[in-house]
Order: sequence, then structure tokens, then C-alpha cells
Amino acid sequence: MASLTLSGVEKRLGGQPILRGIDLAAQDGELVVLVGPSGCGKSTLLRTIAGLELPDAGTVKIGARDVTHLAPRDRDVAMVFQSYALYPHLSVRENLAFGLKLRGESKAVIEERVREVAAMLGLGALLDRYPREMSGGQRQRVAMGRAIARRPQLFLFDEPLSNLDAALRSEVRVEIKKLHADLGATMVYVTHDQVEAMTLADRLVVLRAGDVEQAGPPLEVYRRPASRFVASFMGSPSMNFVEAAVEDGALVAEGLRLPVPAGRDVARRALVGIRPHDVALADGEGALAMDVEVVEAMGFEAYAHGSVGGRPFVARLEGERAQAVEVGQRLALDVAPGAVHLFDPETERALE
Amino acid sequence: MRAGLLTLAALAAAPLVAPAVAAAQERVEVWHAYRGEEEEGLRAAAAAFMRASPDVRVRLVAQPFGAYASKLESAIPTGNGPDLFIDTHDRVASYVAASLIVAVEPADRAAFEARIEPAHRAALTIEGALRGYPLSVKAPALYVNTAFVAGEVEALEDLAALSLPSGVYPLVMEAQSAYWVSGLFGAYGAGLVDEDGGWGLGTDGATRALEQLRGLVEAGVIPRETDGALVARLFTAGRAASAISGPWLAPDLPPELRWRVQPLPIVRGAGGEPMRPYVTVEGAFVASRARAPDGARRFAEFLMLGEGALLRARRARQVVTDEAAWASLEDDAFLRGFRRAARQGRVTPTHPHMRMAYVPADRAIRKVLRGTFGAREALAEGGRRFDDVTRALPAPVEPAWGLLALGLLMLGAIALSIRRLREAPLRAAIKQSLPAYRYVAHAAIAVGLLVILPLVVGAATSFFAGRGTDMYFVGLANYADILSARGGDLFGNGSFWLVLLVTVLWTAANVGLHVVIGVALALLLYRPYLRLKGVYRVLLIIPWAVPNYVTALAWRGMFHFEYGAVNTILERLGLERVSWFASWVTAFGANVATNVWLGFPFMMVVTLGALTSIPKDVYEAAAVDGANAWQRFRHITLPLLGPFLAPAVAMGSVWTFNMFNVVYLVSGGEPDGGTEILVSEAYRWAFTRGNQYGYAAAYAVLIFVILVIGTRLTARAAEARA
Amino acid sequence: MSAERRRPGALLAELGVHALLLGAVAFALYPVLWVVALALSPGDAPEASILPIPTAPSLRHFEAVVTTTSSEGVWLFGRQLANSVITAVATSVTAIVIATPAAYALARFDFVGARSGTKALLASQMFPGVAAAIPLYLLLNALSLLDTRSGLVLVYATSAVPFAIFQLKSAFEGIPRDLEEAAMVDGATRFGAFVRVVLPAARPALAITALFAFMTAWNEFILAATFLSSEDMYTLPIVLQRYMGEYDAQWGAFAAGSILVSVPVMALFYALQRNLVGGLTSGGVKG
Ligand SMILES: Nc1ncnc2c1ncn2[C@@H]1O[C@H](COP(=O)(O)OP(=O)(O)OP(=O)(O)O)[C@@H](O)[C@H]1O
Ligand SMILES: [Mg+2]
Repeated sequence: MASLTLSGVEKRLGGQPILRGIDLAAQDGELVVLVGPSGCGKSTLLRTIAGLELPDAGTVKIGARDVTHLAPRDRDVAMVFQSYALYPHLSVRENLAFGLKLRGESKAVIEERVREVAAMLGLGALLDRYPREMSGGQRQRVAMGRAIARRPQLFLFDEPLSNLDAALRSEVRVEIKKLHADLGATMVYVTHDQVEAMTLADRLVVLRAGDVEQAGPPLEVYRRPASRFVASFMGSPSMNFVEAAVEDGALVAEGLRLPVPAGRDVARRALVGIRPHDVALADGEGALAMDVEVVEAMGFEAYAHGSVGGRPFVARLEGERAQAVEVGQRLALDVAPGAVHLFDPETERALE
Repeated sequence: MRAGLLTLAALAAAPLVAPAVAAAQERVEVWHAYRGEEEEGLRAAAAAFMRASPDVRVRLVAQPFGAYASKLESAIPTGNGPDLFIDTHDRVASYVAASLIVAVEPADRAAFEARIEPAHRAALTIEGALRGYPLSVKAPALYVNTAFVAGEVEALEDLAALSLPSGVYPLVMEAQSAYWVSGLFGAYGAGLVDEDGGWGLGTDGATRALEQLRGLVEAGVIPRETDGALVARLFTAGRAASAISGPWLAPDLPPELRWRVQPLPIVRGAGGEPMRPYVTVEGAFVASRARAPDGARRFAEFLMLGEGALLRARRARQVVTDEAAWASLEDDAFLRGFRRAARQGRVTPTHPHMRMAYVPADRAIRKVLRGTFGAREALAEGGRRFDDVTRALPAPVEPAWGLLALGLLMLGAIALSIRRLREAPLRAAIKQSLPAYRYVAHAAIAVGLLVILPLVVGAATSFFAGRGTDMYFVGLANYADILSARGGDLFGNGSFWLVLLVTVLWTAANVGLHVVIGVALALLLYRPYLRLKGVYRVLLIIPWAVPNYVTALAWRGMFHFEYGAVNTILERLGLERVSWFASWVTAFGANVATNVWLGFPFMMVVTLGALTSIPKDVYEAAAVDGANAWQRFRHITLPLLGPFLAPAVAMGSVWTFNMFNVVYLVSGGEPDGGTEILVSEAYRWAFTRGNQYGYAAAYAVLIFVILVIGTRLTARAAEARA
Repeated sequence: MSAERRRPGALLAELGVHALLLGAVAFALYPVLWVVALALSPGDAPEASILPIPTAPSLRHFEAVVTTTSSEGVWLFGRQLANSVITAVATSVTAIVIATPAAYALARFDFVGARSGTKALLASQMFPGVAAAIPLYLLLNALSLLDTRSGLVLVYATSAVPFAIFQLKSAFEGIPRDLEEAAMVDGATRFGAFVRVVLPAARPALAITALFAFMTAWNEFILAATFLSSEDMYTLPIVLQRYMGEYDAQWGAFAAGSILVSVPVMALFYALQRNLVGGLTSGGVKG
């Protein structure tokens, strides 16, 4: 296994800058998850690591080796494609053995590895099937198996679960987590899915328009988003934002009044970010006044959609009183202490 | 170097082995288009010759008749031809013009003049020089079935008067072919061309001959639409009292049939003149680039006189030109019959226009026999067509102008490409393209050399005119001629514009039907639970598997007036028989039917493939939405098939536009060239109208331009719609 | 089948479909059966009949075709059959070898000249061959390839290449790029990925393209007759044409020969019919 270091990687495609100087490091054995909106360059970055695209600038190192200009086959990486890319004319067994055969492994080794991988992923009964004869989940496992059998220095996954249904997805997610633990391999994993990102990642990297917006342990990223973009991207439902002025040590806007959190350096205005989960029904006046427009009651909890001072706002409410919330009502809400995020209204970066 | 050393060594060793190996043998390659008995006779003669002259080896190569002349034309000038070849005298003029053959001088002039008839010598003499060795003559004779006719048939009119069992024709002959009717024309003093190579059927005699022929056909004396095979079959089956045919009919006649051969009868209507058919003199010709001219001459002389002639008479059943040989053929009634027939005939004129007269004459005869035209009118129109194809070639143009224009164009192109190459982005792009070039280089070279280059050179010949390979620069004269319909009516018979119109109709009708039938069958075959699906599929693609020149001929047979299956079916259905090639609509329809038959499997298979890629749930969704079968087809299948069918339709249109075989073999352009399409016109100019390759090439270039523009426009239209 | 519940009228519809298909099959087979009848009937009197049935079937014509020998006593039909097979197989192999990499490059790489090259290829299909035969003859002569099988193969193969390129290009476009990329990550070179993954995935299209090239060569007559000048080099279509003379045609032998020529192609069609359906359209025109 090996670490991965990208520094200043740039890539243009069709004249457009797609990657704009990416710096990224994955420790040996780390599972790095790349997230970002569609079209932000996640796949391109992954393909650049694999060597399927050559960067216009910057370097890619695997371990101590500079692989920037090496062909994919010389990088010793394995990749699982979103479409799985199983070779249609080869059986499962041959698909698993393909990379090994190309690397000139002996028959015995190949057989041994295939058996091992098949056992690990429960593919034993499928070895003689062809890709078209299998379900989506089975294909996905073959694609993983093909990568694992290779025992590469680095695994790359490009949204490997996006073609699976929700139940299967959570099942396979756990499998991958286990696999990572078993193999102790370095992995780069691209996903759209928040849950995947949060649960799998050792380190989460948020990409935005070809740039790293924030990188760090997933909880750290969730709790301390470095920008409004990250804050709204991570977490579901998304964070609420209200722009407020600072008056007498308090953040004030229509329907909102909050004390400026201790230790924050706020000049005159700030974008206040509050996650839906971090509010509760106030007993008295509360910090927020929310007009309810839609209520989604889900038993124990309820989501109230509405507005605060004309800005859309979502609140997640718990308990008996939450069930009684009605459309058209004005709610008084409290904000959990320490749950207020502040961003610069101009740069949209977090205010420390 | 190595070869040189070896030769030296061989030379040094030669005296040692010389006694063992006789003097080096001369190898003579002889081309011919003989088959059956004639081929065997020639083989026997060659064997006899080699026994007599061990120093010459003769190698006989049988060539298909269809490509014989054009092959000689391309092979001899490049040194790939034979030393000696056998062909008919009426092509000698063009061979001389193209310098394919050399003048010859018989070894024994006196014997030659004494033993070969002057007419036969004259046939092979052009501009005062003997060009080949006359070997044999061919002329139609009258086969008489002695079960129906006891003595000699004296007059053509007597045949009509015979009382015969029903179903037996008095006379079978290829009445719709000018060659076979030439005897009748001859009785009335008419020939296909006159002495100066002008149209010879514009005379009153020709008109009367043709009217008499029509009378015979209409009276049922001669069957309609008879080709050689039908003549043979009717006579063989005892269904004809007499037949006009050549010697080749005899070997296939069954032993139980009693028959005799006599010269063609006289024609009372023509004042008792005998029918004078065209006689062809076959000769042996020494090729101009022969490697073994001496051996070739010796073999030719052997074939011409003496033992060779006798062998050919006995084995090949040929009417040999050597008078001396006939002394020992006294008891051969068959050969004597043909000899008499030949004597009564006249030698086919050698004028280069002669060969170009057949097609217009054929067409005139057919129009008259079908009753669509009067004889005089049809022959006059034939004369116009003949004048059209034999018109004077355009005047030569100083090639300098053409060269200058070409040079300037090329300079411009080079300058432009150099300018572009200088530009940095292009250079960078080319550099980036280098890996791809490794994949395409060999294909580019192969296609460029063997496909594009010959096409470009071929296109360039459109600036030249001439008959045969002897051509001169005329600039754009060919195009001017074609586009102005050679000065005639712009939409007149045979004009480019009319033919273009027919071609467009032809393409539209075919491709439309291909798509409709192909898609319909594919939809039927695509039903999920259809039994025998595989069997149907295989049987339905059979038309695609059989060579189209075979099935096109089968279709032509099916459209035969008398015996064709189509007319038989019509009759059983209580309908009238149709003379399919008599009117434009039916002839065009026959062509289209044939070509639709040939082409629907392709569309069917393409559609089947496309159908498999349409997801089923779309149909299910539409069915749930309440669409009926037709609506599902109209709003789902058809739009989704579109992208798959579009390239197939484009390809199919190009193929159909240039589908020469069907038109040529089924209707042959009938009636009167009306169903000809542009490619078949091009072929005719190249091969049946005096080998005007430059003119044909101009047609080809015009076809190309039309297709390129046509496909461009349709692509644009499709894009605009999408 | 019997357990399946059918909607009322389904049986009727199915019968209708079969009737239509049988009609189509009759239409497809009828002319071919006439050829067969002609080949089987030596010297039948012409009859106006509807069913192509020979009155006294005999294999005489077939025998005559098959037993043709040359003046040196060589069994010509065997020779010529072998020539045809060799020429046609070599043509399809050569055409595939030439066309496949080019089609791949056109499908996958964006390079200078790709568009104009494709256009030139397409255009070459629109130019009638009449004008090209003589220049081609001179060219083969310059390359000393006249009267050789190799020369003929080269000419056929290159004329089959443009169509093969279009065919394969669309087939390759239908194969996801991911497959090659996966192979490259797995350790193949670009070319290796092409050979090991793309080609096998394109097998149906390759088979059909090869079949078409085979047919180009197998049925072609004019060029073969022009370029070949010795009987032991002749291919079967030339032999067929030998039965058509200036004045008379040996129809029976011609028909018998045609059938002999068609049988191998029919067999190939049968063997490849599955591929035929997928291979002609694979990928189609996507997007
Ligand atoms: N060959 C190409 N030429 C031009 N632009 C390209 C090319 N390939 C990708 N792009 C562009 O690059 C950007 C990044 O693409 P990429 O596939 O990396 O996105 P992604 O983050 O993986 O998105 P998704 O989550 O939808 O998979 C997109 O805007 C895309 O349109
Ligand atoms: Mg992606």
C-alpha cells in the first residue's frame, strides 16, 4: 500500500479548465472520499490519478514514485467504474483474472487469487456466468472483485454504488467499509451520496468547480464547514441561511435575534447559518420567528418548511409539540448553543 | 546480381546439357471464348500442332465472352495479353485502331489465295493489309424438323402455310434481335449500316421486312419474345417445325429428333430474294506485343489450312474457311448445310459503327413487334438514336489550357495547405493526432491507392474523347454534350435529364419499398412468441445470398410474355397477359419488383437489429397510456428506428442509384431506352456504343456530383428538422 | 405455451402473422426456385407453369459444371472453387485487418483529417465503378499484380474497406469507453485494450463485416474477368460467365453453377444469422 499525493494538478478539457490546481494527500491506508456537485471534476480527478487523463500541470505521486507521466498500467492502481465496465465477452472468473493475466502472473497464483476474492465477496457460485447474466448488485461485486484481485497500491472508486437501489446500497456500503478495514488499502472514493461520504470517509474532500473547497475528517467538515458552499452541500436537509446585521453584540435580522457567539470576529454583517436539526420550539419568545408553510409530520419528528424574515427556512422539530404545528402558524424557535455558523457575506467563507 | 551469376553459370553449362534439352521451346498463349465442342476442337488442333512442332508449346486460355474485348484492350497494350487470340472479324477495325494486332503475311501466299475465299480474306483486310488468319465462318441456318417438313423449305412464306399440330410453331427464331433478323433485312436489300457506316435501316426495304416480320409474329408463325434459350428448347422439344439458329444448337439436340440443316429460305415478298444473314468470319490474330509472334503465326497457319482446319471442322464442327478441307467433308450434311447458309449470307460490315447499330436496331424491332409503333416510324427513331451514338466526336482542345487550369488549381491548393500548416494550432493538433495516424495509416494508403486514385484517374478521363483507348483531350466538351442532351431535346429520348429523372424515380421507388417491406417484415418477425422465427428469418434473407446477376436473369424469365410465371399467374387469375417490356410503366415496374426483391432483406435485418435496441418498457408505457398498435408504431417505433434506418437508407439510396445489374439484365433499358438509369447509360457508352470511355467517365462524374449533393442536402434537411 | 393465457383474438392474429410471413417467404424463394428448376431440368420444353417443378429432374448440369477439366486435364472446378475460397477468405481477412484499426481510430480519437477522411470514404462509395476499371488495371499492372490472386484480393479488400470502416466505426462507438479504460488500468496498453477488450466485444459486427467482404469477393465477376487471364486462376463467377456466349447461353449449366456458388454464402448466412441481426446495427447512431 502507498500514500497518494497530488500537488497543483490542473486539467483542461475542450478548452475549459476542469481541474484548477488540486492539492490532495491520502495517507497510506486512508479512505479518502471525494464529494462535490455534478460536473465539478470528481471523475476527471480520479481519471487523472489513474492515468487515463494526463494533467496539464502539477504532479501525481503514489508512494514516493512520481507517476505523473506514466501510463495507467504502470501505476499499479485499480479502478471500479460507475458502469462497472465488466468485459462482456469474459466470464466472471476471466474478468477477475484479467488484470493478473496481463501482469503475467502464474496460473496457480491467478487461480488462488480468484478463489480468495470470490470467497471474500460471495461470488463463488457466479464464477462461470457472464456479465449479462447477473443482477446489478452481483455485477457491482464482480467489479470490486476485479479491483481487489489485483492487490494494487491504490483503489479508485467512481460512484460504484450509484446504480444500486437504496437497500442494496447500504448493504454494500458496509461491505466496502469492512473491506477497507480488512485490506488496509489506500482508497479514493467518489460519491454523490452524503451518507456514503460521512460513513466511509477517513477524510472527506469537497470539490467545487475544479478546486478543493475543504478537506478533513468528515465530522470536522460537517461541524465546521469552511464555506457556505460546504455547509449547504453537507447535511440534509441543507443548512438555512439568514443574512444579519450586528447590533449591540447581537445578530439581528427580521425574525431573528441571536447573540454573537463568543470568540467570533464579526464586523458589521454576517451570513448566519443554522442547520434544521439545531433548532427547537422555544417556550417563550425564542431567537427566531418562523412562518410555517408546509409541515411534514413523520411520527416522532416533523419538518416544518417556511420562512424567517422572508428567507426560506426549514426546521426539524421533535416531541409532542412538534405534532401540533400547523400551517400558517408563527413558530418561536430556539437555536442550540454553539450551533450558529457565521459566514462572510461577501466571500462566503466561515468567520472564525 | 545473383540472377546474373546464375545466368552465366547456365550459359556455361549449356553446351554440356544441350543434347539432352531440345532447343528452348517457344510458348504461345492463345486466348479464345470457345466452349463445348468448339473448345474441344481447338484443343485437339493444338495437340496435333504440338505433335507436329515440338518446339512450340501452345497454351489455350478460355475467356468469358462478356469481358473478352475489353480484356484484350487492357491486357495487350500492357504486355499482359496473349500471343494469339481468336475473335470475330467485325471487331478488327477497332483492334487495328488501338494497335492491338499486327498485320500478317501468310507463309504461302499462293495457297492462301487459292484456298480461302476472297470475301473471307477481305473481311480481315483493313487498309489494304491482312490483319489476321481467317479460320471459320458463322452464319445462321435453318434447322428443319423432318417430322413436320419433308423436303427443303423453299420460301419463308411456305412455313406459314404448313399445317401443324397445335402447339407447334412453324418457325422459331430470335425475332427481336437485329442479328437474327438480318437475313430478312438482307432479302429486302437492307443492312444495319450502309457502306459509309450510316444507318442502313431507313430504307423502304427495311420497313417492308419489318412489317413482314410483324405479320409473322402476329399470325403466330413465330413466337413472341424469343431468346436463344427458348429457340433451343422449343426446337429440342419438337415444338417447332423449323428454327433459325447457329451450329451450337446441334450438340444439344436429342438423338430421337430427326432434323436437317439448310440455308435460310427465300422471301417471296421480297421478289424471291433469299434471306441474307450476316456472316461472321472468325480469325486468329497475332497480338501486337506477342512474346512469341513466330510460334503464334505458325499455330495460326496450322489452324487455318490443312490438318488444323480439318480437325476444327470434324471436332469443333466449324465451317472452316479452307476450301481444300471440304473435299474430305463431302458426306457431312450438317457442315455442308451451314456452309451453304454462309455462302448465301453477306459478310458483316467491318465499319466501326456496325456494333453500335445493334442496340438501336433491336429496340426498333421490339417496338414494332409489340405493336406499339409502325415499322417506318420505329426504324426512323432507331436511326436518330444511332446517329446520336455515332455522332462526330468533339474537336480536340489544346491540352495546355487544361493543364494550366489544373496546375493553377494545384498550386493554389498547395499554397493554402502550406499556409494552414504554418499555423501553430494546426501543428499542435497534428502532433496530437500522431497516435491516431498509426491506426489509420495503412487503411489510408490502401484506400487512397486502390480506391481513390483509380477513381481520380477515371474521373480525369472525362476530359478526353475517343473510341477505345485511343483518346485525346477535349476539355469540358463531354460535359457540355451530356448536359445539353447532345444538342437534342432536353427531355428527349436518352437525354441526360430524362434519364436522371428516371433514376431518381427508380431510387425513390426502390428505397421506399425496401423500407416499407423490410420494416413490415421485421415487425412481424419481432413478435416475442413467434414460432419458427429463425426459419422465417433465414428463408427471408435468401435473395441476398444468391448473386444478383443470377436472380436478375431469373426475374427476367419470370416476366416473359409467353412462358413467364408472372403472366401465367395473371392468366390463371383471369387477367390478360402483359407484355412487360412493351410499355415504360410495366418495364419499370418489372425492374423495381426485381430490385425490391433483392434489397428488402437488408432493410429487414437492419430493422430487426434496431428493434432489439428499443427498450420494451417504452411500449409498455405507451400501451398503458392507451396507444393502439398503430399509434405505438407511428409514435414510438418509427421515431426510435429513425436514427438506425437513416444510414441504411442513405447507403441503400446510393447503391440503388448505381444498381446497374438489374436494369441491364431485366429490362435492358426497354422500351426504347426509357428505363435506362444513369449508370447503365454510362455502361452503354463505355461498352456498347463504341467504347467511349471518356464520355462514360463524364457520366460517372456527374453521377458522383449528383449523389454528393443529394446526400448533403438530405443530411442538411435532416439536421434542420432535428 | 399452453399454460399461457391468451387474449381472445391472439390466435387469429398469430395465424395472420404466419400467413403474411409465409407469403413473404414464397415471394423470397420463388425466383430462386426457378433457378433451381432450370438447373435440374435438362432440355425441358418451355411450359407456362406456375410452380417451378422440373418434369424430368436430372443432375446432368451439375455434373457438367463440377467435372469441367482444362486442356491439361486439371480438374478445373476444384481449382476454381479453391481460388474462390482463397480469394474470398483472404479478402475478408485483409479487409478486416485494414479497416478495423482505422474504424477504431475514427470512433475513439479526434484527429486532424478524421472528418475529411470519412467524407472521402463516403464519397468513394458514390462513384460508379465503370470509370475506375481501366486505371485500376494499369495500376495492378504497374505493381505486377495482374493475374494473381493477391492482386485481386487487394482490389476487393480495398473496395470492401470503406463500407467495413463505417460498419465497424458504429460498432466501436457502441462499445463503452469504460471498458478500454478499465483494461488499461488493469494493465493493458491502449492497443492491448483494443485487441483484448474492444475487438471481442465487437465480435458480431466483425463477423458481419467479414461476411460482407467475403461476398464482395465471392460474387464479383467483372474485375476478376479483367484481371485474371489464366484458367487456373479463375474464380467461380468467371466460370459461370463462361456459360454465357455471344449468341447462345447454356442456361442449365449457368443455373447449376449459380446454385453451387450460392450455397456457401447461404451456409454462412445461416451460421451467422444471429450476428447478422445485431451486427449490422450494433450501436446504430447514438445520440
Ligand atoms: N472530454 C471532455 N471535453 C470537454 N469537457 C469535458 C470532457 N469530459 C468532461 N468534461 C467536463 O468536465 C467537467 C467535469 O466532468 P467530470 O466527469 O469530472 O464531472 P463529475 O464531477 O464526475 O460529475 P458527475 O458527478 O456528474 O459524475 C464537466 O463539466 C464536463 O462537462
Ligand atoms: Mg463522474
